[in-house]
Amino acid sequence: MSAVTPVLSMRGIGKSFTGVRALDDVSLDCQAGEVHAICGENGAGKSTLMKVLGGVYRPDEGEILLGGKPVGFRHPVEARRAGISIIHQELSLLPERSVADNIFLGLEPTRSGLLDRAAMRDGALKLLERVGAKVHPDTLVKSLSIAEQQLVEIAKALALDARIIVMDEPTAALDERDAGRLLELVGTLRREGAAILYISHRMAELKAIADRITVLKDGKLVATRPAAALTPAMIVRLMVGRDLADFFPPPGDPAKLGAVVLSVEGAGNTVLSDITLDLRAGEIVGVAGLEGSGKGVLGRALFGDEPFTRGRMVIDGQNGLIASPRGAIAAGIGFLSDDRKKEGIAPQQSLRDNVLMTLRAFARRLLPPGSGDMARAAADRQLTEVDVRAAGFAQEIRELSGGNQQKVVIGRWLARDPKVLIFLEPTRGIDVAAKAAIYQLMRGLADRGRAILMISSDLPEIIGVSDRILVMHEGRIAGELKRGANEEDVMHLALGTGTTEAAA
Amino acid sequence: MSAVATHTGPSAALRFARGINVGLAVFLVLYGTITVLQPSYFEVEGFLNLLRRAAPLIILACGQLFVIAGGGFDLSMGSLVTLTVLGGSMLAGGNPDNTWWTIGVLYLIGLGVGLVNGLVVTLLKVPSIIATLGMLLSLNGAALMWSGGAPRGYLPENFRALGRLVYRDVPLTGIMPLSVLILIGFVGIAAWLLHATVFGRQVLAVGDNPRAAELSGVPVGATRVLVFVISALSAVTAGILLGGFAGVSTAVGQGLELQAIAACVIGGAQLLGGRASVTGAVAGGLSLFALFTLLNLMGLPQPLRETVQGLILIAAVASSAWRMRRA
Amino acid sequence: MSAGADIVATRPARNVPVAPLLFAGSLALYVATALATGQHAYLTGEGFVGLTQRMVGLGIVALGQTLTILVGSIDLSVANLISVSAVLASFIMKGEPAMIAPAVLAVLALSAAVGLVNGLIIARLDVNPLIATLGVGLILQGLLSASFSNFAGSVPAAFQAFAYGRIGPLPWSVLLLFVLAFAIWLLLSRTRFGAHLYATGGNRDGARLAGIRTERVMIGAHILCSLMAGLTGLYLASRLRAGAPWVGRDGVYDLESIAVVVIGGTLLAGGRGGVWGTLAGVFLFATLDAVFNMTGIDAFPKQVLRGAIVILAVAVYAVRSRGHVA
Repeated sequence: MSAVTPVLSMRGIGKSFTGVRALDDVSLDCQAGEVHAICGENGAGKSTLMKVLGGVYRPDEGEILLGGKPVGFRHPVEARRAGISIIHQELSLLPERSVADNIFLGLEPTRSGLLDRAAMRDGALKLLERVGAKVHPDTLVKSLSIAEQQLVEIAKALALDARIIVMDEPTAALDERDAGRLLELVGTLRREGAAILYISHRMAELKAIADRITVLKDGKLVATRPAAALTPAMIVRLMVGRDLADFFPPPGDPAKLGAVVLSVEGAGNTVLSDITLDLRAGEIVGVAGLEGSGKGVLGRALFGDEPFTRGRMVIDGQNGLIASPRGAIAAGIGFLSDDRKKEGIAPQQSLRDNVLMTLRAFARRLLPPGSGDMARAAADRQLTEVDVRAAGFAQEIRELSGGNQQKVVIGRWLARDPKVLIFLEPTRGIDVAAKAAIYQLMRGLADRGRAILMISSDLPEIIGVSDRILVMHEGRIAGELKRGANEEDVMHLALGTGTTEAAA
Repeated sequence: MSAVATHTGPSAALRFARGINVGLAVFLVLYGTITVLQPSYFEVEGFLNLLRRAAPLIILACGQLFVIAGGGFDLSMGSLVTLTVLGGSMLAGGNPDNTWWTIGVLYLIGLGVGLVNGLVVTLLKVPSIIATLGMLLSLNGAALMWSGGAPRGYLPENFRALGRLVYRDVPLTGIMPLSVLILIGFVGIAAWLLHATVFGRQVLAVGDNPRAAELSGVPVGATRVLVFVISALSAVTAGILLGGFAGVSTAVGQGLELQAIAACVIGGAQLLGGRASVTGAVAGGLSLFALFTLLNLMGLPQPLRETVQGLILIAAVASSAWRMRRA
Repeated sequence: MSAGADIVATRPARNVPVAPLLFAGSLALYVATALATGQHAYLTGEGFVGLTQRMVGLGIVALGQTLTILVGSIDLSVANLISVSAVLASFIMKGEPAMIAPAVLAVLALSAAVGLVNGLIIARLDVNPLIATLGVGLILQGLLSASFSNFAGSVPAAFQAFAYGRIGPLPWSVLLLFVLAFAIWLLLSRTRFGAHLYATGGNRDGARLAGIRTERVMIGAHILCSLMAGLTGLYLASRLRAGAPWVGRDGVYDLESIAVVVIGGTLLAGGRGGVWGTLAGVFLFATLDAVFNMTGIDAFPKQVLRGAIVILAVAVYAVRSRGHVA
């Protein structure tokens, strides 16, 4: 293959954000008619690399060659014009606009200056048929299911007659049937001569369609190998950089399992129904599920952010549904949001002010901010306990790396000693070293008698850390798995095709 | 990305000090220029007189600072000042015996205005810039309605004394205006509330990231309502002082809300929340007042003040947006 | 897979037909008040023409404000720009019919420039649009008030025809309002610029990823909005026969234009809404004006009521939104 000039070639790409090295000397190429898969953990740099290719970010170093010619994109529009089409991971559809409007966004056909609505509708119909979506082009996107939206997103990428197609976890929200059809479509596109970069961490998919596989870790390229030469275990080892056994903390000791501290029975709200679960002191319970399964809402419902409207809830012997985050905290629940920037940190306040936020939230208003257990020494102790690495504790928190910010937010809860901690995507966007530290921290908390509910989209993390696993599907708990379950068991339940007793 | 990956930013204390210095430096330069043009300002007496006239603006800036620190704006301050002055003259009707209960009623009105502003923003979720602009319209209408369009009555002498009385033969300074004493007391309370209480930290957390504050248990709604109450009470205080030397008119408070915002910004406060200092706001208020005095001495038309404020607002926000982007 | 995005899937989709409801409700209120107060003159053809004439000033600027709000921005400088335009027009005309064309051109050029500045500050310097346009408004007002303290110049009789002239029973100004509304409707629903405007307001990052130059769209919307404010200024100069530096502020055009857009069902956050809703909102305000007149409510209580109505109108739409506003 190396004799032919590759359609796409990226050479020595580097990119930093506020001192964090997101990409470091990454090179890769892709031939016409090839599916090149890219794997790596969350935060390994896959999405950043794709955004560099798509003209969203400009690389600090390195160059991009298309058919051997160097290009420099300053705006996504230039990448699109060069024939690069990207299906982004986060849906970028406009909910208030029609399917046809979305598919042709930025490529609207016009006739004598006005939009050619008929051409848009016809074109949309053809593309929708091609991706196997049974939706009308005039429907508003907000009335579609997540899976349908994902198919519209793919149709949108195909509207541009692209030579290079990038797919960032395109099957994440699809059930097996839709995912299978998508893989067939990828095969068709490959036969038609498109160069396809395919990001995924579903091993079965990679085996099925990838020609070559590149593994990224901490922004660096670890290896590029023919897919046939790699086994799933080898890929995981390359991604994590060591055996999983060392990476994840040991399981909890069943003998030390304490009393039930949180118990929910038949609870629900607009998204959730029939939620029944028990959390015991000393255990880490993982919650898995696809996007749209309601697993995030479950965490927010328990914490009173999107409260349950029916059902029964008992916390530490106290009855009652939680109506607000403040009420939840008062009852002994702590919460770590999946969106650290929007919901976790107060960016311009110091580390100390951030770690003391919850204590101060419940202190008398006119007390000095450093009185009693809010003293500077206490804050410093808290920060040291979660092992925050910073130049000084008076530093503004926005200057820290994601992993250290996350530790500060966890530290915020320790001071109040909550019985239950709800962690939403605790390691999203965090480097491997900080990840391992956060796993250890969680296990330490559980060993000291806290109950932890860890809601995560990261399957290796769910499997490696949890003492047992709840799997969500369409707003309900589809089943429970014991420690030792594998990814397939979880996916079966998550897709609604498995049974509760799937795992031993 | 491990141990010392993050560089050392300036410490909070250092930045705090720098915030004061910018505002103060601007003020000193301006004041120096004023004394060259008008040597009487070079004496303690001249300075205290300037301080007396600047007192309402500084008090407004301190009140506005709480709303800004909490992430909002209070555009209704100026109209509340007008309402205070007109209402004071209507209520007291020139009778010194009425002064004290009149002042009590004015503070109650302020409390009500602050509560309404705060509740409209927190419960009805109307952006504060629109909510308080609506309040501005309503209060102006109410002030005109109350006074029948043309102000009647006048403020009794003991009411006006709060703004204009000057103690003579004071040791050390020679003179001491009563309003400067009130100013010092007010600034002291504001500095204590913002910088030395749990409440102050809550305000800054709410302004910096309301969702993070809420999920940490901070009573976000109550905090928001309280900052609007503080702002309204400071507007009443400023109105009482202003009534002492500005006289009764329907335009007495016009535009003061934007002057207060500009003063906060000069003092290093960040619009849309999270960063604020009372010393900065005081220095900013002094700077702005000195600037206006200077523009006056130089014979520039008064309306240009607005233009200057507009430029300050845009420059401040653009520079902080730029700072956040490259940080 | 993302836990945070779960919520999106389940939000009910429901769009109420705001414009016809508002229109019908306002009309009913108007007729009922006229009947109740026995002022039947308001119910003649001439009465209804008068009602539509009340719409013109606020209507034109509100059409422009619709664009900035749809694109996810806002413009608080319109009131000041209206004053500047009115004064500039009558100052240049000085009663000379020959100076009408230069004055109109100057006003439109200046308006476009102000819109460009607004757009550049917001899109390029990344300044919050409320503050950017508040600042630009202050700058304009300061310069204007420093240069003029009273009515400046005058407009010639020929130009007064803009406000007072008619073709048949229909005033020119009302015709202009509806022509502009139609043009903007066409722009929004039948051009690429319109599609990109909705996209930028609905999801700025998504629009950018789709290859839309969102800064240009933002700047374009602001230029159009400022042009509309300039036209409103010209209309006011024509109606008042001269421009004064307070006409924009006295009309509270900044706040009221935002209020009618929001009342008309356009999302304050951008991305959904349109022209007809805005016109229905303007019609409601014109009706309220007429009702105040019929019932003889004084100017000052009227002001209090208007302030309250604006807040309530925004609240009706904002109160259901999750999260916090500042």
